[in-house]
Amino acid sequence: MIRVDITCDLMDEDETGHVWAFLRDARDQALVQPGAIVVAGDEDAPAVAEVVDIVDKPAGQVVHLRILPGQLEDYQAVIQRAVIPA
Amino acid sequence: MTERGREELRPYLRDEPPPDDATIVIRGGPDTLAKLTMHARRTHDAYVLDGESLWGISVYCALDDVGPASLDGLLRRFASYRAVHLPRTDQLRRAGYLLLPSFGRPHFTIRLDGDDPAGLTRLLDALGPAEANKYHRRERPGRR
Repeated sequence: MIRVDITCDLMDEDETGHVWAFLRDARDQALVQPGAIVVAGDEDAPAVAEVVDIVDKPAGQVVHLRILPGQLEDYQAVIQRAVIPA
Repeated sequence: MTERGREELRPYLRDEPPPDDATIVIRGGPDTLAKLTMHARRTHDAYVLDGESLWGISVYCALDDVGPASLDGLLRRFASYRAVHLPRTDQLRRAGYLLLPSFGRPHFTIRLDGDDPAGLTRLLDALGPAEANKYHRRERPGRR
């Protein structure tokens, strides 16, 4: 089962060329800070993303996300290879 | 900005001829009524068009034969989606939908009349069945 950090439509881009989401749709807003790596999208289509910035708009705070290459499972695999249990 | 706190989309519309009827539209899936409702409302909460309420869904059109705006390039870009809807533009037009060329090429916004279930069910039908995205692979080298 997948649980994303911020729910969004990965096809929603704006004038910045980045995917945008409302900060209010973050599971834990404290996790969503510029430079943070988060899981974005939804349970059917999760993607690893970097938080580019958070901008104030009258409709609410908007998070810009840079979708990183690969799929969630790729990151899981690389962590499993890299982290050696103590 | 509008006084209601939503941004005007008009300045972000590209001045370009509409895609021809045979152009393939890419929509990440599988879509459901619940997802379309959520996405349409998110667009509504963020944007207006010519000062009027706007409901919409983001899609991409395969405008080129090769490169990032080609079908192959877009399927690769959206590899996070295990399934995609691939209607032709004429399927959407015949169902009464307008494709707004919004933001960067080849992004488009399908304009909707609202977020009522009947209308969104009609959109779901127009998008057609979800197909497997060949670039979404569960097993890849290096995933051990």
